[in-house]
Amino acid sequence: MSGAVMAEKRVFMTGNEVVAWAAVAARADVMYGYPITPQNEVMHYWTRLAPKHGKIFLQTEDELSAGFATIGGVLAGKKCFTATAGPGNVLMQEPVSMAEMMRLPVVVVVMQRGGPSTATVIYSQQEVTLTTFGGNGEGFRVVYSTAGLQELYDHTIKAFNTAWRYRFPVFVLADGYQAKMREPLTVYDPVERGIEPVAPEPYVGRPGKPGADRPPGHYRNTYNTEEELYAVVLEQAAEYERVAPEIVEHEESGAEGAAVLVVAHGVVARAAKQAVELLRAEGLKAGYFRPVTLRPLPAEALRTAAGRAGRLLVVESAYGQFARLVRDALYGLTVDVVPLYKPGLGITAEEIASRCRELAASSARTE
Amino acid sequence: MSFWVFEVRRIRIVEAYVGEYAAGKSEVAVNRALELAREGEPATLVDLDTVEPCYTLRPLQEELGAAGIHVVAWETRRTLGLGEAGSVLKAEARWALRRPGHVVFDVGYGVGGAKALNLVEGVEHERWFNVLAVINASRPLTATVEGIVAHVRDLGPVHGLINNTHLGSETTAAVVQAGAALVAAAGRSLGIPVVATTAPAAVAAEIGPYDPAAHPVRPLRRFMPRAFW
Repeated sequence: MSGAVMAEKRVFMTGNEVVAWAAVAARADVMYGYPITPQNEVMHYWTRLAPKHGKIFLQTEDELSAGFATIGGVLAGKKCFTATAGPGNVLMQEPVSMAEMMRLPVVVVVMQRGGPSTATVIYSQQEVTLTTFGGNGEGFRVVYSTAGLQELYDHTIKAFNTAWRYRFPVFVLADGYQAKMREPLTVYDPVERGIEPVAPEPYVGRPGKPGADRPPGHYRNTYNTEEELYAVVLEQAAEYERVAPEIVEHEESGAEGAAVLVVAHGVVARAAKQAVELLRAEGLKAGYFRPVTLRPLPAEALRTAAGRAGRLLVVESAYGQFARLVRDALYGLTVDVVPLYKPGLGITAEEIASRCRELAASSARTE
Repeated sequence: MSFWVFEVRRIRIVEAYVGEYAAGKSEVAVNRALELAREGEPATLVDLDTVEPCYTLRPLQEELGAAGIHVVAWETRRTLGLGEAGSVLKAEARWALRRPGHVVFDVGYGVGGAKALNLVEGVEHERWFNVLAVINASRPLTATVEGIVAHVRDLGPVHGLINNTHLGSETTAAVVQAGAALVAAAGRSLGIPVVATTAPAAVAAEIGPYDPAAHPVRPLRRFMPRAFW
């Protein structure tokens, strides 16, 4: 069955459940997975939905296997995905690197938990570096960082289309809070909204004689010479840079002339947005900038916003992983970047607002 | 006559709230325990979630204790060093039925979680024991009569249903009442009574003491927005 998931409807769900429903809506065929908190209910709900929608689930022996099985399914022409977290995301990097090298579409949903290693089971934003640049070599991938359950639904559907349209691995990066939290959202069939799911095609086992009836399907992750690899990497880089403007996404408000521009991503961006609304109601010139894609990063938009702001406050539930991406994008600008890092801890709007008030007061003193 | 009244007043209420993951079991159980505590008898609220222990009740423990409920749940400081302490049942939870007065079990984590009731000592001998399935018909897997029936059958023995249909902060009387009709139909199909409809206080006031399907309406004070999830 490839038909409608359900009529458009307001529902009450948890984030993990949202991912499973969105994958069905995106016409995914198979999920391969290995249990790890906080993503387990993605698998639980997928296994409950799969029989009703003619889908398949396979629990593999670990995340390496889940990732490689996902690639196998994709090569066979199925729309496949997996979900993981923390140490599982570390293992997932090897298969994803292979997908990068072979330019294969895979979708990986990551519910960040605390690290290093097993650490805590629920929440952090400490998998940013790993998820954006975790492969060996210089592979190209797309990372969407969601900030709530509606976005988790919308962007999981979008992730499948981005992956299959551009043939780069795509991550949906959320966290244990988004995985576990409950809120209302609207579910819908993307087709009814004019979002046509990109149909998968088999990469192997196609009819005809390779080289005679059709070009050979030569999907390689091994190269004999440095020169061959060099040419392939440059070609992939050029292709990624060509399509990046079509993929890149951000959200901003009040950035123009902001005394303090709060920069955050994911669930922390919700608090940042709320803090900025609070501060603006108090008359403080605060702005808000949130990259939705962490890779490709909306670097131009961020530079423009930062160039007009007095100071940047970079807020994250990690010790500077997101800030590293931000600073790289801002290279050459003289704007002051102030951190608010709480590795593995949630951050409230009030904490962000009070830090902004302190910054505003200190700039007033120096002026 | 006087003998009968004496008996009624002595009946203790022992209820276990089970149901779909995120159906609202904790919210309903906490409010029920508060209601019982207000009547003056001792009331115990047991967190029987062995998969995600104490995440919902943890930030509320002190407040509920101050409201007169004896809360049996892990405290953060007691779980330090246990890592993923999911399989550790608190001894006090195992023996909760030995406590005097009313006992309310919040049985977390969906169908799998409901099996944890077997871990409570004396459950099979508890004369007034009622297992109540909490249903939110805004949850897609329990959004139809067939879905609710199939789900309740998965839960094991269930004595009554609670219509807890809601959309979080967007809950309206219409949402709750649409759920009441579905849960009532599921109850008929299962041969199980619908014990109550629950709704946030303001919505409950709008509906009145009974919903259109004639279920008594229990107003809910919302605690879960302050819980972990």
